[in-house]
Amino acid sequence: MSQQLANGLFSGAIYALFAIGFTLVFGILRHLNLAHASIFTAGAYLGIDLVARFGVPIWTAFPLVALAGVALGVVLERVAFRPLAGRADEHFAGLISSVAFGGMLVAALQARYGTQQHSFPVDAFPNRIYDIAGISISLAQVITLTVALSAMAALAWLVAASQAGRAMRAVAENPNAARILGVHVERVTASTYALSSALGATAGVLMVLNVGQAHLSMGLSIELTGFAVIILGGMGSLAGAMLAGVMLGLAESLTVHYIGSSYKDVAAFVLLFAVLLLRPQGLFGTIRVREA
Amino acid sequence: MAGYESLITTIALVGILAYSFHVVLMAGQLSLGQAGFASLGAYLSTLAVLDTPLFGTVSPVWVGIPVGMLVGASAALLLGLPVLRLRGVFLAIATIAFAEVVRILMLNAEWTNGAQGLRLDKWVTPGLAWAMLVALVYVFWRLGPSRAGRAFAAVREDEVAAGALGVDVVRTRMASFIASGAIAGLYGVLYAYFVRRIGPSDFGFTMMLDGLVTAVLGGFLLYFGPLLGSGFVVLVPEAQRAAGLEAGWIHPLLTGALLLAVILFLPGGLSSLLTRLPRPRRRAPIPVTLPVTATGHGLPARGSQLLAVDGLGKEYGGVHAARDVHLELHAGEILGIIGPNGSGKTTLVNMLSGLVSPTSGRGWVLGEKLGGSGGMHRFAAAGVSRTFQHAKLFDRLSVLQNALVGTHVVSEPTFLRRLLWLPSARHDERRALATAAAQLERVGLAHRQDLSASQLSYGDRRRLEIARALAARPTLLILDEPAAGMNPVEAAGLADLVRELANEGVTIMLIEHNVPIVLDVCTRVLVLNFGEVIAGGEPASVAADPRVVEAYLGTAGTGDA
Repeated sequence: MSQQLANGLFSGAIYALFAIGFTLVFGILRHLNLAHASIFTAGAYLGIDLVARFGVPIWTAFPLVALAGVALGVVLERVAFRPLAGRADEHFAGLISSVAFGGMLVAALQARYGTQQHSFPVDAFPNRIYDIAGISISLAQVITLTVALSAMAALAWLVAASQAGRAMRAVAENPNAARILGVHVERVTASTYALSSALGATAGVLMVLNVGQAHLSMGLSIELTGFAVIILGGMGSLAGAMLAGVMLGLAESLTVHYIGSSYKDVAAFVLLFAVLLLRPQGLFGTIRVREA
Repeated sequence: MAGYESLITTIALVGILAYSFHVVLMAGQLSLGQAGFASLGAYLSTLAVLDTPLFGTVSPVWVGIPVGMLVGASAALLLGLPVLRLRGVFLAIATIAFAEVVRILMLNAEWTNGAQGLRLDKWVTPGLAWAMLVALVYVFWRLGPSRAGRAFAAVREDEVAAGALGVDVVRTRMASFIASGAIAGLYGVLYAYFVRRIGPSDFGFTMMLDGLVTAVLGGFLLYFGPLLGSGFVVLVPEAQRAAGLEAGWIHPLLTGALLLAVILFLPGGLSSLLTRLPRPRRRAPIPVTLPVTATGHGLPARGSQLLAVDGLGKEYGGVHAARDVHLELHAGEILGIIGPNGSGKTTLVNMLSGLVSPTSGRGWVLGEKLGGSGGMHRFAAAGVSRTFQHAKLFDRLSVLQNALVGTHVVSEPTFLRRLLWLPSARHDERRALATAAAQLERVGLAHRQDLSASQLSYGDRRRLEIARALAARPTLLILDEPAAGMNPVEAAGLADLVRELANEGVTIMLIEHNVPIVLDVCTRVLVLNFGEVIAGGEPASVAADPRVVEAYLGTAGTGDA
């Protein structure tokens, strides 16, 4: 049982890391970026490639993948979102253009890596298992928790305390007012995507560490989980997304334990429906609901 | 030939799937649960479809089709009741989650044979699939220029304006949602009995993306968009194969690039290349036989009471936008409402037109109780028509179509009769056209009727909004700052129009900052300040009232002016 909870915590940390990238973009820019899952997948493949082909140590691979995420995020914003700014159907069109961008990114991955599954070479890091109070924890899981927590802490600091974070919060509140007050909205937008994609790509590497393989459709299932997390946590709430991510990981473990692994994903969606329907105003976020 | 048969059928099937997205997108709803409806429709229909032809010859899938459509429609209704409160991406996420829950349930159920899936017989021929697609194309072709089709478009473009013109927004959204469920159910059945094997994963995220991509590529502003989108989506990989590009990644890359190009540079989809704007066919000029002033309601006798409110107030989190307003209005009056910015004028008319519910007080307008359940469409149906402070037009519709939406409350539903080509539907549509065209003529926009509303200048936008409100043949017309931004000549023209309408028996509430106009045309003036009525009566006496002068110019003595 406590083993289950521990495992839930580790996968929850990955969900949280994935989802805060997702929710960051939604909270600040009101864009639902469906390419986030593809960037997650790209991060996974890149991480494996760096370690397997170039012999980069796993610890060095993380910042490199995050940098690649930054680059992808900047391109994504430039290609799929900026041209739509100010259009009346901006939000709908952005959703479609991000689907298109994501599809192209995965196609590029397929061209480069083929359709077979990829995994880290066996000697990438020692397969050490620790036993703590009767719970066995692998080195991979330790790495996962460490990276996820430090990435989230860094983000929390950045948004709460830095100049860039202040600009982001200003844009989230009111882009027009922010612009009038001298905030460079385009730059904030681009850096939000960069940051979000860095987190998403990092989460991809962690996922491979935990489940063993990367495959082209790995983004699909976490995308659905990501929806659940951002709704549960409140659209745009970073702390909410972190909590909800961990909550979902735990809920999944418990579902597996008590009901069966085939219903693992139901937990997420039952929670999602409950929040959407019972508290349409949202747990923490600002869900805009209005009867016409 | 066998290869082509499959290709031809696939085009029809993808087209049908795309219509299930088309019908919600054309009403502006981002609903993405179609894979769930299709899954339920397909699986449940297998319980009804026999293994042998009916009467020895008829494909048993003819039983499955109505079952699948009914299942899809019912599922959409049940899902829609709770989730249609949500908007935009929240609706998208809730519906995606629904589809995912259906997938997991089907995966774990006994009777669906879990992940193994079901093996079925092939009962769907290319002819059958195309017959269904052609039926859908026909239905959407007839829907477009009908009263219901215009309601869909109006809800997509602006829900508030649609409601103000009498469109029942909640019902329209639900109708599109249910239609989407039925079409998705149809798709599910046809798919199942075409590929002969279904598993829960067939109805997943990928199916959702395929349908959405096809619908958007084709364009959801024109009825044949899904057909075009499907042809494109299915034939591109064929062309690519013919060109010798076999690698598996080329297809998703091409589709992605194409979709990106369309959404960035051709927001109306491929179909918008063929027709730049959805507009009624050119027709012989309609003789305006109807008297312009004829009303659908029969105007009440001059002097009869139209409106009575008592102690009306609206509070937004401690701020009293309007407080303790007593007001009566009689047929034939031109009531001017003036007051400084933020004095509650717009809040007052928002309450009187049913857009917002008062937080205190009560009253009625043309027999409709304020603050009751139901939307503002009830007030429109009762004969209240209004314009907005910032013109709310249906930007992607033509000027004429904007005015046509205005006729919603004074015309009969025509969609079902149009399906059957009944002459009465044609007659009703012509009447609506005549009404709309006459009102455009009246405000001087007749020569612009084929432009899209977004192309109009500021003053023309305001005039179009007035024409649209008049097309509803209102008993009570509420104009919210109609002269804002007009030059003196235009403003004088507006004053003339208001007087002319009043002569015809329309009762008018005029909110205006242009005080000379108000004092000139109105029979009575109400002055608001800080949400309260500070003066009311004949224009001349109001103009001389020291409280009014103070509200507008500040207390005497505080300034030198």
